[in-house]
Amino acid sequence: MTSATLTSVERDRANRRTAIKLGIAAAAMVGFAYGMVPFYNVFCEALGIDRARPELADVHAAAMRVEFDTNVSNGLPARLTPLEPVVAGRAGGLVKAKFRLENLSDAPLGLRAVPSYAPERAGRFLTKMECFCFNALTLAARETRDVTVVLLVDEQMPAELGAVTLSYTLFPLEDKA
Amino acid sequence: MTAATDTLNPTQGDHAGEAHGHDDHGHHAATGWRRWVYATNHKDIGTLYLWFSFSMFILGGTMALGIRAELFTPGLQFWQPEFFNQLTTLHGIIMVFGAIMPAFTGLANWMLPLMLGAPDMAFARMNNWSFWLLPPSALLLVISLFVPGGAAAGGWTLYPPLSLQFGMGMDLAIFSVHLLGLSSIMGSINIIVTILNMRSPGMTLMKMPMFAWTSLVTAYLLIAVAPVLAGAVTMLLTDRHFGTHFFKAVGGGDPVLFQHIFWFFGHPEVYIMALPAFGIVSQIIPTFARKPLFGYHSMVYATASIAILSFMVWAHHMFSVGMPATAQLFFMFMTMLIAVPTGVKVFNWIATMWQGAMSFETPMLFAVGFVCLFTVGGFSGLVLSIAPVDTQMHDTYYVVAHFHYVLVAGALFSLFGAVYYWLPKWTGYMYSEKMGKFHFWWSMVWFNVTFFPMHFLGLAGMPRRIPDYPLQFTDFNALASVGAFCFGLGQLFFLYNVIHTIRGGVGKAPANPWEGAHTLEWEVPSPAPHHTWETPPSQELVEKGLKEQAL
Repeated sequence: MTSATLTSVERDRANRRTAIKLGIAAAAMVGFAYGMVPFYNVFCEALGIDRARPELADVHAAAMRVEFDTNVSNGLPARLTPLEPVVAGRAGGLVKAKFRLENLSDAPLGLRAVPSYAPERAGRFLTKMECFCFNALTLAARETRDVTVVLLVDEQMPAELGAVTLSYTLFPLEDKA
Repeated sequence: MTAATDTLNPTQGDHAGEAHGHDDHGHHAATGWRRWVYATNHKDIGTLYLWFSFSMFILGGTMALGIRAELFTPGLQFWQPEFFNQLTTLHGIIMVFGAIMPAFTGLANWMLPLMLGAPDMAFARMNNWSFWLLPPSALLLVISLFVPGGAAAGGWTLYPPLSLQFGMGMDLAIFSVHLLGLSSIMGSINIIVTILNMRSPGMTLMKMPMFAWTSLVTAYLLIAVAPVLAGAVTMLLTDRHFGTHFFKAVGGGDPVLFQHIFWFFGHPEVYIMALPAFGIVSQIIPTFARKPLFGYHSMVYATASIAILSFMVWAHHMFSVGMPATAQLFFMFMTMLIAVPTGVKVFNWIATMWQGAMSFETPMLFAVGFVCLFTVGGFSGLVLSIAPVDTQMHDTYYVVAHFHYVLVAGALFSLFGAVYYWLPKWTGYMYSEKMGKFHFWWSMVWFNVTFFPMHFLGLAGMPRRIPDYPLQFTDFNALASVGAFCFGLGQLFFLYNVIHTIRGGVGKAPANPWEGAHTLEWEVPSPAPHHTWETPPSQELVEKGLKEQAL
């Protein structure tokens, strides 16, 4: 499509058509910039990327970051995933966290989760209300189960405590090992 | 649009360039300031763009010298840190949006209609608008230096939370970016429509000069990303004044989100400043090697590949903010992939020169200098693309060295080459080859003295954007500062050289001063008359040139 094959009026119209299309594309790209905002949230959640958290951002109340770490001892056909890897704890409030426990084998599996935490001084300010840990758990073949941890954050929690990491490691039940 | 249509009237003169002063062009006859303020002629607008960009280059360069003066020795000599930060920020914004980008748009305005055989740009009045948005936006940036709190000082990337905390200087910068974006979008629409719809008969897309190709792809990139930047700064503005919380952590926003949006714009922006330079070099090297461009088709595909890949690598600017290893690997490998089409280009330029009958006039010197130094910048870019290495080098002088190699020795050198290459066409006079060569060698030497030591400073751990530094960095900084002042001085010599040429240079230029140039702009007289190609060039004329270019 070159100028020789078009009259000036035709070309003028073609020019305007192309320009309008490009203008619409530009406007759509402004929309795309705004579209990145919700997309970013969805993406971070899906990937489990720890992003800035509004509940931690309240400057008027001390908050503690509670991070969950999970491990599985060597060779155990099981998987433990924190459904929310990072949660916020407020002084005097409850922290609830769910984990997904999966048996990857085709046979029933006996398990026990052993917890540990860091830093040491955080232990005084966290009270365990409910936990799947230490219990002997038996999963049927290919079973998936959601388990819960509930912690009470002490009223006296110091504001500078910052973050606490709670780690759970799965071990086979002793008699079945 | 009117200018474009009525110049197509077939009753007019049958040879391009002889219609100067044609009486139905009354609206072009304006003289004095009206000629420029009401300009709709692509050559006048191109000239305006080029002078504007040169004055911004001097302004941004002066700021750079302010930075280098402060860094000559450790300790605070001239500026307080707040003002130093304003200098680095404005230097970046002004050089990117005020100097480099308008210079390429100016060249596209001047040369595309001539090279494609079109009478003017598609939308002459919009073209006027695109240009005249630039001076007010530059003014906003300059004014921002004098408002309470001073200009934006958080770096040209305007990262929150700093950009949410600054005074009104930041608002002025935001409005300035809005205007610059609007100007770029309109300029790009004009370039795309001109290239797609206004080529002369016989010139198919795959036979256009490379400069037209790179301008076309660049314009598409701008239409895709300039609005994204506009959106990002608008979110900053509403966060600052209208209670939104896009980037405010206190309200549930995330500052890292800004970095994603910004670099979604920012990385294609890098190629917006590089692709037209590739186009210019692809015009200059075949001319002075007296051989057709090697691998024309692969050049086109490489340009398009670089443009497409540029949308998939943005997070390599953010390796140190924290992201899953998988994402780091993805962005790292995609970034490395860009070296492939870029390598294709570099090898094509070398193959074009291979066994050519080369001569080294000033434009060729700048083009060859471009190929050498841009490659150095490309390699340091490859080093930075490695995520674990980048975590170490992030925000050090190594990064500063890297992007000045691609933007100064890359974009700027190609622009100097373009000016010397087309100056005879613009002014009708030949520049002084002696002065041109002096300008090249002076720039080449002092550029390297300025920026090469920065690699070492960065590797040794000197952070960028600091007004003071530990003693062990003194020698390289002193060296870089001396280099910068000498480099700056050389650019005043360039100005003298251009004015000398406008005033007659070393004599009149023929229509085609270069033996090996076969594109259409050399078919019109020098200086190019106000109106050219009012009747499109004949198919025979177009095909004659294409044959010489082996197309």
